[in-house]
Formats: sequence, C-alpha cells, structure tokens
Amino acid sequence: MRPCASSRRLVVPQLAVQRSSRRRFLGQSAVLVGGIALGPGLLAACGDDDESGGGGGGGSLAMLNWPLYIEDDDPSTSPTIIGFEEATGISIDYRAEIDGNESFYEKYGPDLEAGRGIGFDLVVLTAWKAAQMIEAGQVQAFDDANFPNKANVIASQASTDYDPDRQYSIPWAIGQTAFAYYPEKTGRELTSAADMFDPAFAGKVTILDEMRDAVGLTLLGMGEDPSTASLDQMLAAVDRIAAAREDGQFRDVTGNDYTEDLQLGDTWIAMAWSGDIASLKADNPDLEGLEYFVPEEGAMSFVDNAMVPIGAANKANAEKFLDHVYDPAVAGPLYESINYVPPVEGALDNMSEEARNSPFINPPAGAKLYEFRILTPEEDEELNRAFVAATQQ
Amino acid sequence: MARNEQTGIRAARWYVPYLLLLPGIAWLGAFFIVPMASMFQTSLDGGLGNYSTVIADNSEVIRRTFVFAATATLTCIAIGYPLAYFIATRGGRYKNVLLALVVLPFFVTYLVRTLAWKVLLFDGGPVVGILQDVGILGPDEGLLNTDIGVIGALTYNFLPFMVLPIYVSLEKIDRRLLEAGSDLYASPFRAFRKVTLPLSLPGVFAGTLLTFIPIAGDFVNADLLGSDQQTMIGNIIERNFGQEFFRPELSALSFMLMAVILVAVLVYARLLGTEEIA
Repeated sequence: MRPCASSRRLVVPQLAVQRSSRRRFLGQSAVLVGGIALGPGLLAACGDDDESGGGGGGGSLAMLNWPLYIEDDDPSTSPTIIGFEEATGISIDYRAEIDGNESFYEKYGPDLEAGRGIGFDLVVLTAWKAAQMIEAGQVQAFDDANFPNKANVIASQASTDYDPDRQYSIPWAIGQTAFAYYPEKTGRELTSAADMFDPAFAGKVTILDEMRDAVGLTLLGMGEDPSTASLDQMLAAVDRIAAAREDGQFRDVTGNDYTEDLQLGDTWIAMAWSGDIASLKADNPDLEGLEYFVPEEGAMSFVDNAMVPIGAANKANAEKFLDHVYDPAVAGPLYESINYVPPVEGALDNMSEEARNSPFINPPAGAKLYEFRILTPEEDEELNRAFVAATQQ
Repeated sequence: MARNEQTGIRAARWYVPYLLLLPGIAWLGAFFIVPMASMFQTSLDGGLGNYSTVIADNSEVIRRTFVFAATATLTCIAIGYPLAYFIATRGGRYKNVLLALVVLPFFVTYLVRTLAWKVLLFDGGPVVGILQDVGILGPDEGLLNTDIGVIGALTYNFLPFMVLPIYVSLEKIDRRLLEAGSDLYASPFRAFRKVTLPLSLPGVFAGTLLTFIPIAGDFVNADLLGSDQQTMIGNIIERNFGQEFFRPELSALSFMLMAVILVAVLVYARLLGTEEIA
C-alpha cells in the first residue's frame, strides 16, 4: 500500500481555516474532533486514487443519516453516492448512525445550542424535530444557486407550517408508520389499529418508543385524528397505552431494534416503519409469513428532512449533493431501492413498473395518512412526560 | 551541618511531587471535576424539587436497578469465588491457561457479546428449547425480556472483574498458614473459614466494587435483552437526555445514583473492615 499523502493534505487545510476563525477553545476542539472523525473517510477515499481535481474542484462532505436510507445501506456501493463522487470529485463521508430524533439531539444538541458545528454538513431528522431546530436557528438556509433541483420537490411537500418556502429543510424520505404481523400466529386478519390492544395477543406486541408514532396510531384506533387531536385526547391515548402495558400487552417498547425480535418470530405484531418491512422482506425471502398492514382507520406518515446544521464546513457541497439526489433520474432508482415514498417529482417515472405499484413507494390515492400535529413546547413537554411515565417508568 | 544540607535539598524540591501530579490533576479537573460541577448545576435548574420529583417518578426503576445490581454481584461472587479458588489452588501448571480462558470472551467487544446472548436466548432458540424440554420453563415462557435474562447477562459480562481480584488475593495467601492450621487439628473446612476466607476478603471487596458499580450504571444489557419491564436507571437517562426539559431531572437522577453507590460502598467497607482499601 502506498502512503496516503492526500488525506493529510485535505485534513490540514481544514484545520488551518478553523484556527484563523474566532471560535472559542471548545469550539475548535469540537471541529478538531470532527476533522479526526472525517479522517477515515478520506483515507478510504484515497485508496482508489479516484480523487479528480486537486485544488479547485473536489473537497468533501460529511452526512449523517438514518439506517436503510441509501442503496443496500452501504455507502461504498451506493450508485447515488458513487455517481455524485465521480461527477463532482467531492468525496462523501456517509454515516447511517441516527437511531432516533431524541438520541441524535442528546449527542449533538448541546453543540447546536451553543452555536457550534457538529462535524457534519448534512443531517436528516423527522419533521417535528426539524421544526424545532429551524425555530431555534440551528440550521442554515440553502443557497438555491447550488440546489436548482429543489424545484422538483413534490407539490404536497413544497410548503409546510415549519418551513413555508423550504428554505432550511427538504424531505429526504417520506414513509408510513403502521404495523407488521404474522397472520399465521395471530390466527386472524387484523384490520384496526386497536387490534394491537387485543388481549389475545398479550405479550406478543411491540410498540415504538417514538411518542408521535405510538400515540398517533393509538389515537387512530380510538377514532381520533392525530393531525387535529387536542392535548386531552392525546393524553387519553397515552393512558390507554399505560393501561395495556400494565396488563402485560407489550413484549417491548422499542426503537429501531424492533425488527430483530420480529425476525426471530418472538414478536407477532409490531408497530413498524414501512420501508423497514419492505427491506426486511426483500433481504429475507424466508419471512414470507410476515405481512405489512395499514389499519382501516389510516396510518401515520412521517417526513424526514435533510438540513445543513450551523457550523457546517462544506455547506455548498451538501447543497450540491441534495441537488444530485433531487435529479429524478437519480431519485428513481434510489427510492426504488430503499422503498420509501420519493419526495422528488418525476422519480416515479424512473422506476420499474413493479415499484410504481408498491404501496410503500406510491401509496394509493385515498390512502388515509396522518401527520402528527406540531405541538407547542408546553404541550410537547406534558405529552412527553406522560409518555415516558407510561412506557418506561 | 550535614543535616542542614539534607533539609536544604528537600526544601528545594518540595514541589517535585506536585509537578508529577499536575498532568493527572489537570486531566481530572478538565474531564471529571468540570463536567461534574456542570451536571450538578444542571440538576439544580428549577430547584431542589428535581431530586424529589425524579425519585418519586422512577421509584420502581431505582428499586429494580439496585435489585439487579445486587443479585448480579452476588451471583458473580457465587460463581467467581469457587472458580478463582479452583484456579489458585488446583490450577497447577494450567493456571495461566485457565486465567486466559476467563478473560478470553473479553477479546470480543461488549456489545457483540451481549448481542450474542440475544441469539442464544430467543424464544425459538436452543437454550429456551432445552429448558422447556426439561420443564424448567413453561411452554409459553422465554428468557429474553425477563429479569433472569438481564441479570444473567449482567453476571456474565462482569464475571471476570470478580474472578481476577479474588484470584490475586487467594494466590498470595501463604500456604504455610494452612499447614499450621491443620497441624493444630483444624479441619480443612475450619482452616478455610479461619484462614483462607478472611485473607481473601480484600479480593471479594475489590471484585464487588468492580462489578456492582458498573452494573448499577449499565444500560446496554437491559436495552438489548430486556423490555420496558427491565428498564434500569441508565436506560432512563440514556433515552431521555435528548429532551431539554428532562435534563435537570436526569442530572439529579445521575447524582442520586452516585450518592447511593458512594454510601453503599462506605457501609460495605465498614462492615467488611478492609482497612487496606477503605
């Protein structure tokens, strides 16, 4: 192996730039750590010597995303990432390490609150968390000159309450939260969201620890609309969950790891994210008995948004990458592979017939999908406290 | 005159020990004292009420944490002491091999070892199958998401920290004391009780500290192998620290955990009377 001089060349100027700025000591060390974290990615990139442009073009970009949000969950073979790197000479350090909105904020929130960078140029978070971060000024406005394809965002997402002009956030993926189950084990077909509370399935049900998903689906089962429900109705749904937990209805209250027990067959019914189940079934053909089901009352819908956090060292590269993903020719195969609804207009035209008919990628018109109401900070605190008491304590 | 000279030299170098301590003190100051002070400050945001609120809200979790930690530690002693005793007294020329076997699982990372338990213990897996066949578990019972599963994994993950200190304390016991005991007509059991056991207590004490304290703060085992019915204090802190409004209470919970452990250790040291350590 040849010594990799280029990586050192790339890291050092970045630190030099930081040194000349007026950050406080701790800010600098945070950037230093970010630079070190970036190192391995650069080292990997130099192995093939595929870096084109020396000084002017090229550069790098660090992105933090959720698992299963890129082809095969593997950045080293992802056509989307490789295509971008080859076209621009910008190398991407892609990490699929976000496990939950709360756990992300637990780790990086203090730096963001202090106005410091977190070592990443692009992060992806769910709408309600994105709303909070935009409100708190923790993300940067896009420079549309670098991101002309932003205009390709699908009409339903072009304007939202938390970001009316999509200045700060753009959807990375849109999915549903509903259920997965083994009809063979439950012994009957499930139709309602309230079926998760059927005592016949006691100890065989897992629910998600994302408060909005668990409370939202419970509300649907109770005949309420989660996009308009009052705080009292939401608290009643939390009480319902607490009572069921008391009775031993739930096997566990889980995060991303619900798929493990579901795969092992220990869980009969799991509250689940649509793309996960599609991927799980695609990767494990022997899981034939596993069915995804959308209750007749409807399902929760979530939008995960890509944003440039404050202090990002490579903001322009982040925008160029989003521009790449928002090219319908790139987006088509990407979303076909990850099985989520593409937020890019025209992406469906670049997919196979089979993918176009998938309910995960192209939910049928008339599918009842609800987004959880954006809460005030006071409501958020009260509901979260109740939910933690109902599911953890 | 010679005496003056000597004190002169000593006086000139009084600061040397402090200089040697400086890196350690700076390290502790920056990475222990400062974060602790900041956490303590956070825990008082909104008043002392944080402490009573968090203790009341989590009383069940707190009780469970210490029951788990105590049970796992006692199990570690019950398994670790005979094991260490066997290696120290009967190991012969295989001593080093046997010790290496105790440590061997630790060449695999903590997380992977714990995940491996998940594969072993799942409802359709080999362990549950055998236990159901011999009637220890009922047909609908399992090990994942049970107290026993989590306590078992905690015991497994921390066992070497119990075995090694006990082994060291047993190893350095002077065998001639036991011979003297039997010369004085002590039965082997009596010799063990009067000689070996008291002399090995410092090892048990050290082992208990090395297992009980990290187990009380552990969250990985309960997270991976347990359900919402096995939540420990570590899980509550780990899952909720991202919510800004929870931070003062969770800081208070961390301090409470530390205080309880500190008191427990002091009481334990007093009871066991190992002046060497405490």
